[in-house]
Amino acid sequence: MTTGIVYHTEFLAHEQHPLHPERRERLAYTDDQITEEGLWEDPRIARLDPRYASREELSRVHDEHYLEFLEQSSRTGGVIDLDTLIPPGLFTQARLAAGGALVAGESVMAGVVRNAFAMVRPPGHHAGTYSGAGFCYLNNIAIMVQSLKNLGCRRILILDWDAHHGNGTQEIFYEDPDVLFTSIHQSPFYPGSGDVTEIGAEEGRGYTINMPVPAGSSDEVYQYLLSEVIVPVAEEFKPDFIAISAGQDNHFSDPLTGLALTAKGYASMMASAVGIADQECAGRLAAILEGGYSVEGGLPYTNIGIIAALAGMNLSNIRDPSSYESLLQQARDPAALSRVEAMVGRIRETHGDVWSCLS
Amino acid sequence: MLFTGVDIGGTNTDIAIVDGGVLTRKVPNDAGLKRALDSLEIRGRLAVSTSQPLNRLVTGRPSSVHSITIPGPGLPSPGSVAGMVNHRGDVLEEIDPAAIRVVLEEQVSEYLAICGKFSVRNPALEEQVKAIALSYYPPGRVATSHGLARLGFPARRVTTEVNARILEIVAEMTRTISPYARDFLFFKGDGGLTSAGAVLQNPSVLFNSSPAAVALGARYLSGRSDCLVVDIGGTTTDLVPLHNGAPRMQDIRIDGNITFIRSIQAVNIPFGGDSVIETDLCPRREGNPMAFGGVRPTLTDALNCCGASIGDATRSRSMDPAIAEQAVREYISGVSEEVHASGAEIIVGTGYLAGHLIPEISREAGVRCIIPEHADCANAIGVAVSRVSLSLWVHMDTGKGRMVINGDLMPIDHDMDDDELIAWCKDEVRRRAMEMGAPEEDVGDVLLEYFHAYDVVRYGRRTERIADLQVSIAPGITVDAE
Repeated sequence: MTTGIVYHTEFLAHEQHPLHPERRERLAYTDDQITEEGLWEDPRIARLDPRYASREELSRVHDEHYLEFLEQSSRTGGVIDLDTLIPPGLFTQARLAAGGALVAGESVMAGVVRNAFAMVRPPGHHAGTYSGAGFCYLNNIAIMVQSLKNLGCRRILILDWDAHHGNGTQEIFYEDPDVLFTSIHQSPFYPGSGDVTEIGAEEGRGYTINMPVPAGSSDEVYQYLLSEVIVPVAEEFKPDFIAISAGQDNHFSDPLTGLALTAKGYASMMASAVGIADQECAGRLAAILEGGYSVEGGLPYTNIGIIAALAGMNLSNIRDPSSYESLLQQARDPAALSRVEAMVGRIRETHGDVWSCLS
Repeated sequence: MLFTGVDIGGTNTDIAIVDGGVLTRKVPNDAGLKRALDSLEIRGRLAVSTSQPLNRLVTGRPSSVHSITIPGPGLPSPGSVAGMVNHRGDVLEEIDPAAIRVVLEEQVSEYLAICGKFSVRNPALEEQVKAIALSYYPPGRVATSHGLARLGFPARRVTTEVNARILEIVAEMTRTISPYARDFLFFKGDGGLTSAGAVLQNPSVLFNSSPAAVALGARYLSGRSDCLVVDIGGTTTDLVPLHNGAPRMQDIRIDGNITFIRSIQAVNIPFGGDSVIETDLCPRREGNPMAFGGVRPTLTDALNCCGASIGDATRSRSMDPAIAEQAVREYISGVSEEVHASGAEIIVGTGYLAGHLIPEISREAGVRCIIPEHADCANAIGVAVSRVSLSLWVHMDTGKGRMVINGDLMPIDHDMDDDELIAWCKDEVRRRAMEMGAPEEDVGDVLLEYFHAYDVVRYGRRTERIADLQVSIAPGITVDAE
């Protein structure tokens, strides 16, 4: 079985402004790297075309008034916040990104591919029910998760490893016990939410698990959180599908964040996620691209690592250029791990009554 | 204008001279290429298709080729050594010459292929490895990948291995032919012509050129741009659809690996005039038909039994007439089924048995047919009337102050905007085609096959511009022959 990559040159069309960090240059080098690696021709990879998400599919996640505002503003241009402008034509491009996520989920459910990576732009995880924010307009992963429920998935695990907290996704599923939202993100940092004490509400209480990590957190921190929290909780939750908000702004070369993950770290994190999916839900997993602004020095290497891990390829040579070593040493804080260990202690306190593996 | 086309096939070399009229000739290959060329009085432009000897090399069992690869970070590759060029063409990790010498001393092989990731953005590391390798290999046995121009490291690696194996024989062929016509052109698998100099950069372009030659010849002789060409050869029958005068092309796979070797898309039916008949028609050749001195009955002999008169027809008469008739029927119904399935409205028959078999095939498939005069030499005629075709893959990076054209670096003296760059590249491909001998009328249409450009933004400022594009002069029939 193959790994699907949802990609289209139309994903490069969106630009709030030519100088904005979330600009078309973001995926250009990655596209070069994938093409040079021969992945589009590789029998283990299937290229999937996105489609436009329908209004009904968007309405399952977003408020009708917000969608109306987005569509109207896209005709002439508009503003959500200073980071999130609405350039003309945005609604069409955002619907294609959301449709890219939908295709990823549907293709996995239909058995067309084993797992999938939707390399879409613009990203989505800050977009909530009533508004966009932080470069995001439509919540691509939430739109996919709602469609997965319609396709018969009862329980879905979201793992959001973008450097910024996925506040939009958290808000959408905050009271939903069928969607377990887990997030590793830098803290303190934009958007300010994502504390350990935000654990979900009503029936969804305990089904939001936030893992805020300090700047300088590197590969060992992420592996620690996987083995101490994510894997045990996943085994207890028994998801039918794993959805990953695959932000790549935790790479040590990212200009907007302060984390220190390496390309190899991304690959092994994705390999672990694939391992959980194999164990719990016949491999059903889809990753949706979120942030990632080290467009030239980071993304080409992290994206190859993610794709190689999804496709079960040889990961021994996934790494960053050796000339980046001093940059990594500057970004990495060896003391981060002990602070994260303390944070996990707090998670055990807040979530121990819901998850026996954490008690 | 006068054009000479030569197609070196499996057993014969076909020669065509086109100058308003058409003159054709067949020379057996046993005597060698030189003897065939000696038999000609070459006038006008000489074009040569050499696919048969190369096909055998490419698809036959590999002679020993060693690959040195420079993969850098990412997916691993066999034969890897240290070194890294990134997507912008910067050398981020150097090679280790001592380690490469150790590899060259330990891995003894006949030919060497050198392939680095992103060498098409900067060939420096491949060139450095090659410089070291030349102490161990003669220059004619070492091939590098950057001249293949396209991104796609695995396909470049396999194609470079093919090039390493055929480079020497192509160079020798070039030395044999050039005394007869210094500016002769090679006919490529995509149906276009190119200079010997360009072929020595990438000899794999010569692979499987005969079907493209037949298709072009059929179009020239029949005047049909949309049709199905049915070429009845000795061992196979090939069905090639033409749309707007061009066959469809694809990159071939070798042992399942994708390559950058372009070849025509055709349906190959494994029966032809030399196919042996036991009780049924068999998909193999065992020497000539009996009518041409062979010992086993073939489809050609069966046709003679049914009333044709091909070669020494009396020698075919030892066949059982019932078996002969059955074999011919079997062949015709098999081919007509494929013709019918193709949806073609008209077929153009070529090959020396076309006149004997095509009318019946067309009747059974329910389509019209044309069997042009000289159909038996359509291949050599196609070679004669073809024109120069050429693609440039260009990557411009204003931040680095350079441009890479088909794997060769050159500085840019001023920043060009998108329109200026496209215009410049179109002029450049025209200039290069004319340098190979194309008349100005053949290079009027330059296709912009691909264009993508974006700004590099650093610290909130637009600092550089990167553009990728491909411009082409497509294969076709030279204006002078039309």
